[in-house]
Amino acid sequence: MVTRLEQPRGGFNFDNFQRNVSLEQKGIRIPKPIKTGTTIAAIIYKDGVCLGADTRATSGPIVADKNCAKIHYLAPNIYCCGAGTAADTEFTTALISSQLELHRLTTGRQTRLSTARSMLCQMLFKYQGHVSAALIIGGYDVNGPNLYSVMPHGSVDNVPFMTMGSGSLAAMAVFERSWRKDLERQEAIDLVKDAIDAGIFNDLGSGSNVDINVIEKDKVDIYRNYYKPNERAPKEKVYKFKRGTTPILKESIKDILVITEGVEAMDIS
Amino acid sequence: MDSIVNKFKRSTSTWGDHNMLVNFDVTKEFSLPSFDIPPCHNPIEFLKHNTDEKSNAECRIKFKHGTTTLAFKFQGGIIVSVDSRATAGSVIVTQNIRKIIEINPYLLGTMAGGAADCTFWERELGRRCRLYELRNKERISVSAASKLLGNIVYSFKGMGLSMGTMVVGWDKTGPNIYYVDADGTRLKGDLFSVGSGSPFAYGVLDSAYDFDMSAHDAAELGRRAVYHAAHRDAASGGNIHVYHVKQSGWENLGFRDFDDLHWEYQDQPKPSIIGDVQPMMLNIQD
Amino acid sequence: MDYNGGTVLAMAGKNCVVVGSDKRLGVQNLTVSTEFQKVFPVTEKCYIALPGLATDVQTLSELFRLKCNMYKLREEREIEPLTLANMISSTLYGRRFGPYFCEPIIAGLDKNNKPHIYGMDLIGCLNYPDDFTVAGCAEAALFGMCESLWEPDLEPDELFETASQALLSAADRNSLVGWGAVIHTM
Repeated sequence: MVTRLEQPRGGFNFDNFQRNVSLEQKGIRIPKPIKTGTTIAAIIYKDGVCLGADTRATSGPIVADKNCAKIHYLAPNIYCCGAGTAADTEFTTALISSQLELHRLTTGRQTRLSTARSMLCQMLFKYQGHVSAALIIGGYDVNGPNLYSVMPHGSVDNVPFMTMGSGSLAAMAVFERSWRKDLERQEAIDLVKDAIDAGIFNDLGSGSNVDINVIEKDKVDIYRNYYKPNERAPKEKVYKFKRGTTPILKESIKDILVITEGVEAMDIS
Repeated sequence: MDSIVNKFKRSTSTWGDHNMLVNFDVTKEFSLPSFDIPPCHNPIEFLKHNTDEKSNAECRIKFKHGTTTLAFKFQGGIIVSVDSRATAGSVIVTQNIRKIIEINPYLLGTMAGGAADCTFWERELGRRCRLYELRNKERISVSAASKLLGNIVYSFKGMGLSMGTMVVGWDKTGPNIYYVDADGTRLKGDLFSVGSGSPFAYGVLDSAYDFDMSAHDAAELGRRAVYHAAHRDAASGGNIHVYHVKQSGWENLGFRDFDDLHWEYQDQPKPSIIGDVQPMMLNIQD
Repeated sequence: MDYNGGTVLAMAGKNCVVVGSDKRLGVQNLTVSTEFQKVFPVTEKCYIALPGLATDVQTLSELFRLKCNMYKLREEREIEPLTLANMISSTLYGRRFGPYFCEPIIAGLDKNNKPHIYGMDLIGCLNYPDDFTVAGCAEAALFGMCESLWEPDLEPDELFETASQALLSAADRNSLVGWGAVIHTM
């Protein structure tokens, strides 16, 4: 039984590690964490950067989430596509974005891409690839539009176009065919869309819809589900059960009591 | 046209001349069927790696396993009772498998372990028992039948056969139960239970078993023992089949759905297994 | 997940949610209990379902109960489903390299009585479905049942039937799941 609330300590908690190793040795099947199984792609165009991602999350052969968001917020002018273990991409970007927020409050300046990049790659390097997050950071700062790719072990690359995840080969093929310097905005969006589309249809780990983010100077456009090539047709029949189909052994009904006080409570949410 | 006729003429004559008389080989009738073997370096290890859940949890082919079967002698013959669930891993493949194999009107075989192994070899046993009957003009004894099966599986020892079976029947010596498994074990006995649910079935059987009980009570005991085993064991369930082996041959007493029995037994008073026993005085310290 | 058996699901309907679980606790094939609790109330309108290794199910249910009570004392209000989901998710991610073997599901109504369901993996990767979420031993079978039976805007008692039939059908084909089910409708 838990007797006191743990004080938050830095870093991860390894208390269960030894136990889990011995359970695994005993032959107990360990549930697998959800992977993104992803196609993510991004390019620099004339006035900014365009990020794209598919929306499938998988756990083994099962599609765990048909419409998840893989483009994460880092700063108002920086976004980040994540591939790898879903929880790792989610929490690494959340952690860095909160540190960047604090950094902006102390310095009073717009966050630079290189700051975000350094913080991410230092964190990933520290964990020696065990935090499996492969990221593409895209944004617009004082140096103009920029794109960085960060590998799970912490290596960085500054590139004009990049793809990552299990569908990266399909997406890269599209980029290698059609990428040009200084594309127009709509051309860039279409190209990224086509690249993700190639990943969705040619890679089994990727699927569902295309998310697009466009970052320009002082302007960010988020197109969630920009393109939906896999929409499910509505069911032609209704599969409702007649009330009383399931035999009920015991039933208990609780009424929810709403207490309203005279003074209106301050809204603190 | 003539050529076709000639072809058939010739073949009939050769068949009559040679195959029936010259090529008739007694040993062939009892030779083991041959199987295709996986074309790899070590077929036994290969099969073990891919099918044995105990040595390799991630094995790709999961055989159907998990059973409760039991058989016991009483004054009126033998009661055989089994469940009907087949599982592959944790997936229930069917709730309607028949685990009692009717070898002939006087012999029954039960099935535990690999479903395919049991059905195949007990069918083969049936064929050999019939041959024995034709050759010797009398029915095979349960002892001899079980030994046939035992010898077959022993010749495949270590190659991954999986079966735990009871050969049950009535012969000149009376009712007989033999336990035969894939290791080559062959045991004669009065009461056996085989399968993953057998510990639970033994518990119920041993606590209420009485040799002099009536046929009705014995059938009910068999049914209850399998019911309680299926209650605790996830790999047993479905329907509960009961057979009664008598001097005149076996009789199928039908089957009951496990869920129906569950609700039925819940409403009945519990059988008084320890009702007549004086409560033991225990000296419990506070 | 296969060691103790057990499976859970949550579904969203029209201004309502259901969350349910089976009742079996086993040690591999041996059934130990047929009354094992896997769904835990947090507030009057919010429940968490914890399928997985039984020891972790109980440890986590106590831990989350404590954390929610502390939240209530500090904030002087009930915890909202989304807040709860994030709290659970962070707790699990804190043990990224020594996880609890449990894949929680959160279902509840928020202060405006809007339905919320959340699912996550064992290291806290949240997902926010608007239809249903399942976890545990019969996950694959439940996904199939829910994909075909669920439809939008079900009324509470329709949603109850849909969820219970999905759960019972999945349980019928899995030997480690069953012995009845509990469904909570909010």
